[in-house]
Amino acid sequence: MKISNTLKIIIAIVVVALLLARCGTSTYNDMVNQEEEVGKAWSNVETQYQRRADLIPNLVNTVKGYAAHEKSTLEDIIAARAKATQISVDPSNLTPEKLKEFQAAQGEITSALGRLIAISENYPDLKANQNFQELQAQLEGTENRITESRKIYNAAVKDYNVVIRKFPSNIFASIFGFEKKNGFEAETGASKAPTVEF
Amino acid sequence: MTRCRRLILTLFTIIIPLLHIGAEEVTLWTPETLPMVHLQDADRWVCNPDGILSAATVDSVDNIINHLYREKGIEAVVVVVKHTKDNDCYEFGMALARKYGIGGRKTNTGLIVILSTEDRAYYILTGTGLEGTLPDAICKRVEIKTMIPRMKIGDWDGAILEGMKAIALYIEGDDTLLKDNSPSEDNGWEALFGLMLLFFFIALFILILTQAVYKPCPHCGKKRLYATRQDFLYTKGRTDYYKVTYICSHCRYSETKIERRPHDDDDNAAILGGSILGSSLGRGGSFGGGSFGGGSFGGGSFGGGGAGGRF
Repeated sequence: MKISNTLKIIIAIVVVALLLARCGTSTYNDMVNQEEEVGKAWSNVETQYQRRADLIPNLVNTVKGYAAHEKSTLEDIIAARAKATQISVDPSNLTPEKLKEFQAAQGEITSALGRLIAISENYPDLKANQNFQELQAQLEGTENRITESRKIYNAAVKDYNVVIRKFPSNIFASIFGFEKKNGFEAETGASKAPTVEF
Repeated sequence: MTRCRRLILTLFTIIIPLLHIGAEEVTLWTPETLPMVHLQDADRWVCNPDGILSAATVDSVDNIINHLYREKGIEAVVVVVKHTKDNDCYEFGMALARKYGIGGRKTNTGLIVILSTEDRAYYILTGTGLEGTLPDAICKRVEIKTMIPRMKIGDWDGAILEGMKAIALYIEGDDTLLKDNSPSEDNGWEALFGLMLLFFFIALFILILTQAVYKPCPHCGKKRLYATRQDFLYTKGRTDYYKVTYICSHCRYSETKIERRPHDDDDNAAILGGSILGSSLGRGGSFGGGSFGGGSFGGGSFGGGGAGGRF
């Protein structure tokens, strides 16, 4: 078969171009996969926070029956919950500011809940109420779930950032428009929800 | 004097070891140091390294868990120790869950029950797939009704046995829990595409390699020389020698050359292709379990659900 030198050069260029395309496709697919993981982890975080928000009306009603005087604390919780549920965040445009806003709103719920639990110590009837005990268990479980989901989200964000920042993938990342994402920061003065011991 | 000193010395060498007989070694268990019995024996799920539970309780609870495993695919681990290193049953359980992947990979129906008798703490952790059957409130209810009263009086056997019985009742009552029989995911499509691309490159490569270099006709320079005949001359070692006649199709110019053809010429390309193909097909296989008789865990995940506390 006859192959001229120019044709050989053309074939070489085509081969190199195909190799680059193959390399780029697999890198792009990796970045897409990782971004999806981040999105999945974020929805999980939002689900757990929502779960906590859903527990609050029941909690407020139970406490009202025993500690009607603690109106201001109860109102605080209801207000914090209303404010937090209004903030919805889209994982694709999760800027540090939006994340801070989200965290701050959820933090208000956390502190309001903490105050309510602390107050309930003064009402032994409330503490003995089975419904209240089970609600508390649910709240603690939800707080744990929130913590775990945040850990998973931060891990997914870290993996994603590593993939898009590594060389030579970072070239493809800037071509395709993948940007660095932000994880949750530790809250200042964060403390676990106070637990009640029997 | 010396006799007196000798006497005191002898007394010391007797008394001090005697003092140590009563003292116990305190083991602060961590998820890394805790012996996971299930890996040695697939029928055992209760980790009792400090010997707190009686053998009868361990057997009964193992039976309950084996029944749950066979019927519902639940992987449940019970840990009863005196002390955990960080005095935090929740973190201990979560670390255990992460380390061993307790629960089916798809179903995530794992369960971990931890009791630390001298730290006076307990926790029931549910895998993400079990949170519907055993929500936090139910875990708390089981603890309040069956476990805490017994733990307060030091009836560890009763607390664990009755607690597991209650949990088993809830699990058996849930018809939506099924064993995980689904096949593993197949990700063949991407690999196939990659293979096809690889084949294409190899074919291209071979094509270029096996092209002989043809010079243009020295007489007219227009067309290149074709080999018209090839006469076998002799064989030396593993090489055959041929007299090859080249003719230019344009000006009928001809010349002859003596060329060598090694015996294995046609096999080179096949070997090259085979070795590249072999390495690209070699992906990691699945992870096997322990030794014969030992069990393994499915790789499920835990989300932090469950309930616990101190007594």
